[in-house]
Amino acid sequence: MAGKISEKVFFAILGVPTIICLAVFLWITSILLSGIGTLRLDLLTTSVLKGGFFEMIVGTAYLLLGATGVAGPIGVFAAIYLTEYARHGRLTRIIDQAINNLAGMPSIIIGLFGYTFFCRQLGLGISLAAGWLTLALMMLPIVIRGTEEAIKMVPNTFKEAALALGASKWETTKSITLPSAAPGIITSVLLGIARVAGETAAILFTACVLVTRGLPKSPFEPVMALAFNLFVKIVALGEPPEKVFGIALILFLLVISFAAVGIALRIYYRRKQPWLR
Amino acid sequence: MAKVDIRKLNVWFKENHVLKDVTLTIKENAVTAIMGPSGCGKSTLLRAINRMNETIDGCRTTGEIYIDGQNIYDGSIDVYELRRRVGMVFQKPNPLPKSIFENVAFGLKIHKMADGQKLAEFVEKSLKEAALWEEVKDRLNESAFSLSGGQQQRLCIARALAVNPEIILLDEPCSALDPIATQKIETLIRELAEKYTVIIVTHNVQQAARVSDYVAFLYLGKLIEYGPTKRVFENPENELTERYLTGEFG
Repeated sequence: MAGKISEKVFFAILGVPTIICLAVFLWITSILLSGIGTLRLDLLTTSVLKGGFFEMIVGTAYLLLGATGVAGPIGVFAAIYLTEYARHGRLTRIIDQAINNLAGMPSIIIGLFGYTFFCRQLGLGISLAAGWLTLALMMLPIVIRGTEEAIKMVPNTFKEAALALGASKWETTKSITLPSAAPGIITSVLLGIARVAGETAAILFTACVLVTRGLPKSPFEPVMALAFNLFVKIVALGEPPEKVFGIALILFLLVISFAAVGIALRIYYRRKQPWLR
Repeated sequence: MAKVDIRKLNVWFKENHVLKDVTLTIKENAVTAIMGPSGCGKSTLLRAINRMNETIDGCRTTGEIYIDGQNIYDGSIDVYELRRRVGMVFQKPNPLPKSIFENVAFGLKIHKMADGQKLAEFVEKSLKEAALWEEVKDRLNESAFSLSGGQQQRLCIARALAVNPEIILLDEPCSALDPIATQKIETLIRELAEKYTVIIVTHNVQQAARVSDYVAFLYLGKLIEYGPTKRVFENPENELTERYLTGEFG
């Protein structure tokens, strides 16, 4: 009898938080969906100057593509170095810890660093380029960690097989390790993008302005972004939240679509490469 | 004739002294078996011959190994060329995550030994040598993982043969296989000895008796006894060898 009661108690303890999470998620979704009313398909391609979202959407895409272009290669190469080449010792432990710290760094601090270093020290000003570098800093730990995990999952027997045939370390990495780890690497990059797609603080004073005349013509011009507009419209312009639900919805769909593609790719490749399980 | 001459070989992994002053001369075109209980250092001895030990962090080696009179631990040795000359087959079949064809072609490509039509010919020749061609000739583009364990192991042998080695190292090649697959590999090992110098590690005494011409018995990192297989099995000189062969420990 006592057993049955404790069973019910534990069920409640475990079940209630799950229900709360679900409810919150549904609530957020319903708020976002109410944004559909303010959205029309043609607004996606209409200029901001005429009440559309075009420059914000493309600006966000510019920011993400550029940040990926910076953080992707650097992160992947760093991870290859750390897993395959670096001798494990005090230095690698310090680097590991630094990567963890960077991953846990509040984005406002990264934004502040970006402003003082990229915008002022390097003289990039409020610009797309400064935004790329700042967002890349946020993506790096995710890309490095994800790539490291993907490389570590490649069975050592593959590498031994190649080395024993007389392949050099780099040949082994290039033709055996990286192709096997590619799905995981792609996933980690996509998750990195998802992480910064909705980022506001990091681009707040490094890359964005409220309104631009058309798209930036060079990386040294400021840019518009969905998250930044959302923030400014509510905080600085005091617009009622209902008016920006449309932007919120676009941003939300953007972020989850990156994450979804990443997860779908991972599942697809896991099925294709059964030895990685 | 001596193919491999191992002199006063010592290997450490970090603080662990795995091989102690092993001196051993291995004959050309014969099968030499290295046997001993697990942890005695037989795999380490094998992996010293193609310098695979040094791919592991914390490994230190002293002594010399001469192949055709040349010390492979000399600084001037090209380790990649050495590993082409000394092929290796591992305990668990380890095909590369590629097609059957690409597995055999991999070594030929990295050593730039063949391409195009010639590549296909070399692949076919190696698969035939490994007695696998008839079973895979119609499915060369399928994944190597679609093969059975025994076939995978013969593919790994074909892969090692493709780059035209002189010595083949086999590290307990049958331990993951069923008896029928084991028998096929053992027959193959005998055939390979006509052309190659074969060195096989095994913890299976019967296997050593079946396939080898010479046998070395290793215990706790030391070479206890070495000689023609027939002589060692019928008339072991060392008491430890006799106790091992009779199954008293192992």
